[in-house]
Amino acid sequence: MNNLLIWPVALPLLSALLALLWPRRSTWIGVAGTGLSLSAVLLVSRQVVESGSIELALGGWAPGLGIALRVDGLSLLMLLMSSLVAMAVAVYSSVYFSDSERRGEFWVLWLLLITALHALFLSGDLFNLYVTLELLGLSAVVLACLGGSRASLQAALRYLVLGLLGSLAFLMGVALIYAGYGTLDMAALGDAIEAGPTAWVALSLMTGGLLIKSALFPLHFWLPPAHANAPAPVSAVLSALVVKAALYLILRLWLELFDGVVTQASAMIIGVLGAVAVLWGSWAALQAQRLKLMAAYSTVAQLGYLFLFLPLLAAIPEGEGRDLALGALVLLALTHGFAKSAFFLAAGVIMQRAGHDRIAELGGTARALPVTAFTIALAGVALIGLPPSGSFLAKWQLLSTVFVTGQWLWLPVIAVGTLLAGAYIFRLLGHAFAPGEGVGPSLSVGREEIPAVLLALIATLLLGFWAAEVWELVPISAYAGGEA
Amino acid sequence: MAEAAIGAGLSGALLLIALRDETDSNLTALKVSQVTRWLVDLFSLIMTVLIGWVLWLTIYVEPVERLAPLANAMLEHSGVSNPVTAVLLNYRGYDTLLELVVVLAAVLGVMVVGRERRGYRQAGPVFCGLVHWLVPLLIVTAGYLLWIGAHTPGGAFQAGATLAAAGIVLRLAGNDAAGLPEGMWLRWLLVAGIGLFLTVGLGVTLNDGQFLQYPKAWSGTLILLIESAATASIAAALVLAYRGGRPDGWLSVADKDNDREVSS
Amino acid sequence: MTQALIYALTGAVLFMLGVRSTLLRDSLLARILGLNVSGAGIFLIFVSLAYRGDSMPTDPIPHALVLTGLVVAISATALALALNRRLREMDDE
Repeated sequence: MNNLLIWPVALPLLSALLALLWPRRSTWIGVAGTGLSLSAVLLVSRQVVESGSIELALGGWAPGLGIALRVDGLSLLMLLMSSLVAMAVAVYSSVYFSDSERRGEFWVLWLLLITALHALFLSGDLFNLYVTLELLGLSAVVLACLGGSRASLQAALRYLVLGLLGSLAFLMGVALIYAGYGTLDMAALGDAIEAGPTAWVALSLMTGGLLIKSALFPLHFWLPPAHANAPAPVSAVLSALVVKAALYLILRLWLELFDGVVTQASAMIIGVLGAVAVLWGSWAALQAQRLKLMAAYSTVAQLGYLFLFLPLLAAIPEGEGRDLALGALVLLALTHGFAKSAFFLAAGVIMQRAGHDRIAELGGTARALPVTAFTIALAGVALIGLPPSGSFLAKWQLLSTVFVTGQWLWLPVIAVGTLLAGAYIFRLLGHAFAPGEGVGPSLSVGREEIPAVLLALIATLLLGFWAAEVWELVPISAYAGGEA
Repeated sequence: MAEAAIGAGLSGALLLIALRDETDSNLTALKVSQVTRWLVDLFSLIMTVLIGWVLWLTIYVEPVERLAPLANAMLEHSGVSNPVTAVLLNYRGYDTLLELVVVLAAVLGVMVVGRERRGYRQAGPVFCGLVHWLVPLLIVTAGYLLWIGAHTPGGAFQAGATLAAAGIVLRLAGNDAAGLPEGMWLRWLLVAGIGLFLTVGLGVTLNDGQFLQYPKAWSGTLILLIESAATASIAAALVLAYRGGRPDGWLSVADKDNDREVSS
Repeated sequence: MTQALIYALTGAVLFMLGVRSTLLRDSLLARILGLNVSGAGIFLIFVSLAYRGDSMPTDPIPHALVLTGLVVAISATALALALNRRLREMDDE
């Protein structure tokens, strides 16, 4: 029965092969394959909710010699986010790429990207994680190239080189771990790793590599050009999902594998970088002249918030208090994932109608594309962190954790960051709802506008109301370090 | 060590192709200041010392028992007698499956990015004569490497690389396609390795096994089958990467009415 | 064990030399080359981990990891070189 866990990986992979073999049917195969992957994830989640974390020892070998797939609360929530976002973006892409001669390649790589994301969230083995990271990085780079412009290729190449540097640093850490502990299985390592030079150096290498991939300030510089120049559906998944994969791994390493190794000082450094990212990213988003660039800078800022949690988590002893803070982190990550993908899809609709995405010339958008303007407003609510969005609850919990731990330093950062987010969102809405001829009236296609509005609704309403479920799922851990 | 040498050589070849294409695009990220240089040097020095310290501790001072005894003890259940092949295709077969997916993603990327390079002039009689015995020899060597992979170092990757070498020799001699088929057949060739691996992996679950848990009596045969398909796919991918972009007929399968190729 | 340690330390030096040139060199080709040198350094470390003394059979796990890692590294290099070449073609046009 545990074979259930292979399906979220096998189904998108199988669909990718079919899409490669039958390029003329690729759109159909792509959407259906994404849907099947989503249903596999839903089946997995039903079993996790009923009976807790699941392990699948591949090939029937004991984990260690073989590779184990594992799912627990954290990985399940990431899986749900990625497959739901992927489903909506796939429906949108079926229109976006319908006339492109590149659609055959798009769908194959799209399905490979989903394969990589699901494999990464399910993997319970460090070296296997390296392979999934590379698969994710390469398929993301190729998708980002599909625009074909010089700027997009240039951004993609820089993204590739830095991504490779990141994964090599990760692999170096994996080598040291195998040298010191003689296994690559993460459950066994969760028990075995203790403070010492091996753990220290390995953790710093792996974290360093992952920080490049998750674009934490000052390693963020590759992100805005790469995300802003990719085709809209690709930007949506890059910003919403791909950077989150690296963040997920950092959480796994810091909270579960290297639980006893992490020191408050190192967590503080990352927290400070996160704080700078919040302020700088929000400021750059406020200055941005183009819609997609604004969204990309906003991603830098939103990722900063997630890293603010690390020093707080490190300060709280394991248990209910830490699970509360971790739940808030995950909720914030999920809300951002849904809201930002909605935002990029809406930006794509506007770009295709108006032929540009210069913010100052977006007058008339609300009249010509009311659904899309509504999507941007909804996603904006979630990005700022206004009620009833999931991020409002998450930020509330973040504040209360700041009070509990007495790390007052973060308070002004959160306040200023939120104000700046409000400023850049309202500046955009001001232009979009202003009268003007920037975007002419046009026939709207439901398959383009509706996925985005659904994603925005999930971010703003559903996650707000279902936040309790997120907090219930997070403490279910498959690793010894997480739930003692 | 043989594997390492082959791999290094292959990446070397790819890099040399880039050199042939002369200078780089002037894609300078940010001009590096003297201070940054100095900092990076310092950082590199510190990291080298730290990594070296850990290696000294873990290899020399107090080496731990790793997975070797377990891997060797389980060898008789793996269906092959070469331990490295057992790890690659059995214990950690899932890694190898995903590795083949990485190859596919990269080669699709090469085809998305550009069209293939111009081929070479038809070779003169001396080189043609060389090709006439070199290509069959490489193909036979590839088959041999694949076959002995079960017992001694060798296997799909080495065989695929050797087969790809045959394709590269063909292209140097003026065969632009480098021995690869066109249209649908090329797509099937790229899919073969992953497709068979995945089918076998899922197929064994019908028989109450875990994913990729080969039935014991069949594991040797299944591994050889998977390796053969993987060899073909790896060779095709390497040759396509060498050709440097999508072949002219690649997109036509998707766009034009090309029923003949689809049904063949 | 001394011999394995020497290999491993060489690997560490190669790794950091590669990282250094990836960070510092202006030319993209040099950066891609740097990444390859780094990868080679890591693989050298893995291979040295496989050695368990003259009388013992080697550990097959690191060998297999190196093989997998090599294929991944070659794939990534091929993609990076293709992108680099396409960018240069665009400059020429």
